[in-house]
Amino acid sequence: MPVIGKSVRRPDVLGKVTGGARYAGDLALPGMLHAKLKRCDVAHANIKRIDASKALRHPGVKAVLTHEDVPRVLHFGSPHPRSASLACDQYILDRKVRYWGEAVAAVAAESEEIADEALDLIDVEYEELPAALTVEQAVAPGAPMIHERRDNLVVDPVTVKRGDVEKGFAQADLIVEGTFELGRPTPAYMEPNVCLCRWEEDGRLTAWISTQTPFMVRGILAEVLGVPLSKVRVLVDHMGGGFGAKQDLFQTEFLCALLAKQTRRPVRLEFTRKETFLGGRSRHPGTVWLKQGFRKDGTITARQAKVTFNSGAYASHGPGVTAVGTAALTSLYRCDNLLLEGKCVYTNTPIAGAYRGYGVVQTYYALDIQMDEAAERLGIDPCLLKLKNAVREGDIAPSNHPIVGHGLEDCIRRGMQEVNWNAPKPGKYRGWGMGCEMHGSSAYPGIKEQGNATVRLSEDGSAQLFTGTTGLGTGAHTALAQIVAEELGLEFEDVSVVHGDTDVVPWDIGAFASHTTYMGGRAAQMAAEQVKKQLLEVAAEKLEASAADLEIQSGEVRIKGADKKLSVKKVVSPTRGMPSKQFIASATYTPTKSYSFAAHFVEVQVDGETGQIDILQVVPVHELGKIIHPVAAAGQIEGGIQQGIGHTLTEDYVVDLKTGRSLNAGFVDYKMPLSLDMPPIRTIMLETAPDPGGPFGAKGVGEDPIIAIGPAIANAVYAATGVRLRHYPISPEDVLKGLREKR
Amino acid sequence: MKMALTINGEKRELEVEPYRSLLDVLRNDAGLTGTKKGCDVGDCGACTVIMNGKPVNACLVLGVEADASTVTTIEGLGKDGLHPLQEAFIEHGGAQCGFCTPGMLMMAKALLDEIPKPTEEQVRFAIAGNICRCTGYTKIVEAILHASNR
Repeated sequence: MPVIGKSVRRPDVLGKVTGGARYAGDLALPGMLHAKLKRCDVAHANIKRIDASKALRHPGVKAVLTHEDVPRVLHFGSPHPRSASLACDQYILDRKVRYWGEAVAAVAAESEEIADEALDLIDVEYEELPAALTVEQAVAPGAPMIHERRDNLVVDPVTVKRGDVEKGFAQADLIVEGTFELGRPTPAYMEPNVCLCRWEEDGRLTAWISTQTPFMVRGILAEVLGVPLSKVRVLVDHMGGGFGAKQDLFQTEFLCALLAKQTRRPVRLEFTRKETFLGGRSRHPGTVWLKQGFRKDGTITARQAKVTFNSGAYASHGPGVTAVGTAALTSLYRCDNLLLEGKCVYTNTPIAGAYRGYGVVQTYYALDIQMDEAAERLGIDPCLLKLKNAVREGDIAPSNHPIVGHGLEDCIRRGMQEVNWNAPKPGKYRGWGMGCEMHGSSAYPGIKEQGNATVRLSEDGSAQLFTGTTGLGTGAHTALAQIVAEELGLEFEDVSVVHGDTDVVPWDIGAFASHTTYMGGRAAQMAAEQVKKQLLEVAAEKLEASAADLEIQSGEVRIKGADKKLSVKKVVSPTRGMPSKQFIASATYTPTKSYSFAAHFVEVQVDGETGQIDILQVVPVHELGKIIHPVAAAGQIEGGIQQGIGHTLTEDYVVDLKTGRSLNAGFVDYKMPLSLDMPPIRTIMLETAPDPGGPFGAKGVGEDPIIAIGPAIANAVYAATGVRLRHYPISPEDVLKGLREKR
Repeated sequence: MKMALTINGEKRELEVEPYRSLLDVLRNDAGLTGTKKGCDVGDCGACTVIMNGKPVNACLVLGVEADASTVTTIEGLGKDGLHPLQEAFIEHGGAQCGFCTPGMLMMAKALLDEIPKPTEEQVRFAIAGNICRCTGYTKIVEAILHASNR
């Protein structure tokens, strides 16, 4: 294939390396005001009184909004999926605050500095309420009610039942059981959330927002602000990362729009780095209790789990994460007898939301560590135990669809070979561990997902792809353009991508869930197929041939096996400057669910004196069906591993258990892996199990790499030290404590 | 306050608020938004620029401190065609979301100005104050090493 599988130059990167790429935060409009949010310093309270009069008198302040000034519309702040908006629990601003750091007022002023000064001039009197800062406190009898439910559950618990779990355990020769405690990592994208709003003369709202889901955001903005959808336009060009979290609305979008309306001036609101923690979204902390039964030969006879996610103060993606994370335990390793229960609990802590790996990071951490533990107790090599139980073609996936293009066994086998798995242990406190994962693209339970695309030819023979998917930074637009170029037989450089404007491009569900290449890419391919058909019909007339005998290569239409040819440009535009017709087509793709697979192999060296874990190398093996852009795909894997190493070893957004105060809302105290911390990564990408539902067989890759790395590290630490750890992050102290207990 | 400095080879006279950081001066007063604000407190390195030959976090320098200085920002790096570092970042996948990229490139430029042929360890050490959340640093390090060999 001339274009697919080549690491073409990403057009978006040129602007990124020269400083020319425009992010929402780089925009300024004439007369623009700057907005800031006042945040509370209590974990749970009613607002008894809020007085903005002093702030309003401060020179340069143009408007202040409190809960008394904004429409009181109960809504679901997480746009996806709106069909499952089970948990409408947010107001633009409320009379009550539910976590330390929640916004209580917004100021618009002539400068950021003036807006900042005005925050201190807003008087708020709180009636403090008892706070539930942990799940245990929130579910205890008599716990403070955070929302309307006495049990503080975000949604009704999820139960997945297959077969007979009691019977399964009765058949087991070995039962392994354990509780896993999971911390609170945050996505920590580099670009703080930002929004710029302007009302046009005709009453339309234009909003530039760093968001992964411009169409969903448009819908919620319209609903909550009471404006017709047709009068809201959301624009997003380059984005400085999101990793799932930038799917939500952060209340800022409403406030920015309302401040702009009131002042009749454009208003810009940018989070500080601290606010990306306070007002952003983390991964769900939680616990997984997991019990599995095994026969002597390694067959899994039963699996039972109780999964509890801590949603923080609002639902956000709690319902989705609970459903997806819990259902994930049906799979990866085959088991016929299952009883899985998942629940999601409100607490008076910062909001957890969508984050790369979406509930599956948590539950597969437990599952894969327990498999390692079971392997040892059964006297079976962990890789062989996982191979024996690996899901296979046609098995029912967590989404309840049969798996197509399974690749787990290939990943495990290839990794074993690459790292010489059966070699003797390399030395004291040194060892290899391995973790597996599978993750769905477009696999959200209960909703039908959809990708859309429009492809058009210009009179110079070039093609434009119109896509609603946003450019998060993954290189997805490049991959989509490659798909269109391949399908149309054009050079990559002859395809451009139009995106980022809800008034112009086809509707899109959002750039998340490893969607874009798989679902958006297939839609782009389908639209290109139709345009190609239109093109060949016209070319057939000109070449006096049958369309079926024609092919397009490098921008030329040829009669197969003959010399006769015509450039695409000539077909499109026989008269210079004027096309023969408009070559254009749109396509909608409603996918079946697709799963990608990976096995990660990790070698660690542990310092027996300090407990320090050094990751010596990582060998990730991913089955991707078809690789569109090898450098971009590998970049996803390496970046996911970086975040996964952080989650497993150092990253934890900590809330003080007395006050609910955020203790490390910044990059000095929230410890992420830096360049010196990252080990060598030898990425291996396989194309052994293509998915016929994806473009040229391709699957998603965005979320996968963050899942398997965690249990691989924990299992490697066990191999190196004999210390079995069932939590993250794992600190050196935890390892030392384990070593002491063993002595 | 009035200040005069050379930015990317051009003499600029600017009227700036005395409390503004060099980062805000560059972005708001000089109209150069290529330099990014990732944290505004010197933790992330996204705002790295070269001031009088040394890399600095522009958010930690007061604008007026840069009076009479020479500053190179990302917009000045490829003024006469792409710099080998920029080429290498494009080719090797050194940029994903691109938000850390301007600071990363300026830090890499400062490194190569000082050590034209750095080792991998020296590259990793030089960019240890520049946070990237997308790449795992693998391809950034590759790109810098590649550019140093050109």
